[in-house]
Amino acid sequence: MDERAIAALRGIYGERLKTSLEDRICYSYDATGQEFLPDGVSFPVSADEIRRTVLLANEHRFPVVPRGAGTGFSGGSLPVRGGVVLSTERMDRILSIDTENLVAVVEPGVVTETLKEEVKKKGLFYPPDPASLKFCTIGGNLAECAGGMCAVKYGVTRDYVLGLEAVLGTGEFVRTGVYTVKGVVGYDLTRMLVGSEGTLGIITKATLRLIPHPESAATLLAFFRAGEEAARAVAGIVEARIIPCAMELMDRTAIECVRAIADLSVPEGTGCALLIEVDGPAESVSREADRVEAACSRFGATEVRRAADAEGREKLWALRRSISPAIRQVNPVKINEDIVVPRSRLPEMYAFLSELAARKGLRIVNFGHAGDGNIHVNIMISGRDEDERRRAEGAVEEIFRKTVDLGGTISGEHGVGIAKAPFLEMEVGPLGVSVMKRLKACFDPNNILNPGKIFLSEPAVRP
Amino acid sequence: MKDKELSDLTGACVKCGTCRTVCTLYPERKAEISVARGKIALLDAARKGRDDDLDAVQEALSDCLLCGRCERACPNQVLVEEIIMKGRADIADRIGISAWKQVLFGRVMPSPGKRDAARAAAAAAQKLLAKKIPTGSGLHYRFPDKYGLSGRTLPELPGKGFIASLGPDEARNGEAMLFVGCVFDHVFPQVGRAAYKSMKASGMEVAVFRDAACCGLPAMVSGDRTSALRCVEENVRRLRAAEPRRIVFPCGSCLLMFKRNLFSLIPEGHPLHAEAVWVSGRCEDYAGFILASGVVSRLPDPPEDEAAGEIGYHDPCHLSGTLGKGSEAREVLRRTVGRSFAEMEGADLCCGYGGTFNIRDYSTSARIGENKVSLAAKGGTAVIATACSGCILQMRDMAARTDPALRVVHIAELVFRALSRR
Repeated sequence: MDERAIAALRGIYGERLKTSLEDRICYSYDATGQEFLPDGVSFPVSADEIRRTVLLANEHRFPVVPRGAGTGFSGGSLPVRGGVVLSTERMDRILSIDTENLVAVVEPGVVTETLKEEVKKKGLFYPPDPASLKFCTIGGNLAECAGGMCAVKYGVTRDYVLGLEAVLGTGEFVRTGVYTVKGVVGYDLTRMLVGSEGTLGIITKATLRLIPHPESAATLLAFFRAGEEAARAVAGIVEARIIPCAMELMDRTAIECVRAIADLSVPEGTGCALLIEVDGPAESVSREADRVEAACSRFGATEVRRAADAEGREKLWALRRSISPAIRQVNPVKINEDIVVPRSRLPEMYAFLSELAARKGLRIVNFGHAGDGNIHVNIMISGRDEDERRRAEGAVEEIFRKTVDLGGTISGEHGVGIAKAPFLEMEVGPLGVSVMKRLKACFDPNNILNPGKIFLSEPAVRP
Repeated sequence: MKDKELSDLTGACVKCGTCRTVCTLYPERKAEISVARGKIALLDAARKGRDDDLDAVQEALSDCLLCGRCERACPNQVLVEEIIMKGRADIADRIGISAWKQVLFGRVMPSPGKRDAARAAAAAAQKLLAKKIPTGSGLHYRFPDKYGLSGRTLPELPGKGFIASLGPDEARNGEAMLFVGCVFDHVFPQVGRAAYKSMKASGMEVAVFRDAACCGLPAMVSGDRTSALRCVEENVRRLRAAEPRRIVFPCGSCLLMFKRNLFSLIPEGHPLHAEAVWVSGRCEDYAGFILASGVVSRLPDPPEDEAAGEIGYHDPCHLSGTLGKGSEAREVLRRTVGRSFAEMEGADLCCGYGGTFNIRDYSTSARIGENKVSLAAKGGTAVIATACSGCILQMRDMAARTDPALRVVHIAELVFRALSRR
């Protein structure tokens, strides 16, 4: 970025534009562990500042990279081509919670858990619950279409968005969607923006759908000898017409990495565990929990435990949320994928993953949202062994191919970013890529917004 | 910089962002540079030579209260406190530390005599410069803005410290030894005295560690490892020679120094390591001693007429958090004041003191501290009891600023008062 562009940005932000190396380093990373240094970091407090930023970017041709809390796993918020990181963390107001229409209107920097807590005080529920919910933001959740544990029953971020306000790559300010349950006027631009990874527009306000908060919940932890057994239990529970609000699978290594945190005793010979939660009216919850327990035992569970109270439940969930960072104990470098296959194909996928790990001589840790078929496959490598790295890259490609063959998708909730850009075409085909690129050109003709993401070989910001 | 050690520690951070949820400073700054993840990235950049502006990196590292909340929340158990202190020290080795800190940490703090002289000089200056204001916790002096002191208040400094007021033969020998700490000796001698007298109620002989050096924490957190090492070496030698059975700390921060930071300064292989292990193993917190030594059973029943729930306990970050000693003080309070004790709002929020942080950025420190005490006062707490010298200094200042009726005391003062009712 040239000095005139910086000076012009300074005109918008004043002290809220940071250009010191120290401030830029602190906005160069996300949870992928990769680093790309931006030319500046701005902290907008209004949609108008964002609009003026994008107009300036078109004038001076610099990239604008929107960022929530920088907790993503696909590199969505990394400034891979430099430019200005636009951090929405100071736009963090909940503007309204409408208990009559069950709608919340929020700014993008609201932390997901804050919203969940605030609506809960009014007896309402905003279901999406990515593992980073205590610190990730709604803006980032919308841009990546974050999922979470309860997707199996309640769906993902996109299922709770009614409307958006956003600044497009042109600097135009658009309002999309509705404030109502229904709405079919024109193309669904709301869903177009959700999951677009900040490449089409920067979300400045969101109208979100709420539902009544479930009255109660029960949490169970079931231990199995093998991953395939647990995977069969998952399909079996759903076949028994129970939809738990979460069915989380943890393999042996994942359990080992976090058991100390929750002081967890694990039965001898455990190869896999399922964390299952059912929710709803109190009387049906205990009945469903009984049925889940019975189903687990039928599919070979060696032990099933039930959390006694809210504290016990939170302990189990803390255990689950800690897995992702804690598996670093296995090996320092994590290649983290989040494939999804139809639930019925899970046992097949698990068998394939064990065979692959053995064949390639790799340590693979599997955990995740088995209830919706979403598995976090983590290939843990030392990072110092070139041959190991090559084997891991080969394994990733095989995993993706198998996923697509089984009718699944290569990313359930992390997004493409830079991490999965090489595999985009494998899933959506050349025509799919072409249509997406045409849409991108329509929203952001000068390639200002988050360049270098989703598409592999894409020109730099247009001169 | 000592690359290997630091890279081993920082390498454990996976940049997940959990530290953002608990950082005391993040709500004030609203920027990554305030949280552990950012500081770790900065240290790595400095270590690898990608950022050679060490003054700027040191400035960023200084902007931390060392409350340790991030460390306790971290799913990877990254040793953030250790990383920040090591980083500050490694950079200080390269760029030096400020002159006033050199004099204070290098010359005054390790020497009991010089500390006495410094207190006397400060007490005189206080009477000249500052204005008297009465508060619930006793007389305070408010400094005018013009000396760069931003209107802060300090308690009236006594003419004589606690140790200096002991008789020549008093508290010379005993199986339990009181490590009173600089602040409870020189600034709040009534706390030192209350701790001493209440410990004696155990029936044990209690010695006061008279020729203590400063615990070394202020130097340590400022990156002055040389001075910190001098303090702990002096203390370890003298304590080992005195051969107490137990060493009791009314201040959680001093205790942290002896329980944890000691081994960063005197690691395995250091000639004093065995002595340090011996000493550290005998160190304990005041409340733990009061419970274990039977003092609680000598307490009279708490009076019925006291206002229920008016006394709260503030968790010092180092004592309750890092050292995990939160329940002992509460148990002592329950036994001492009965139903007057109740959990206060925001008990485990950091008071915002952070030692030298309070000096470098008083306005932020004060905002965090005012929030803390106001929250407690709004919840109905009239007396905040705690067990750390820094927290007491800070919260008394904050009470003087926001709610002069609010009292801030050390738990030992309450125990001593209850014992005197017998």
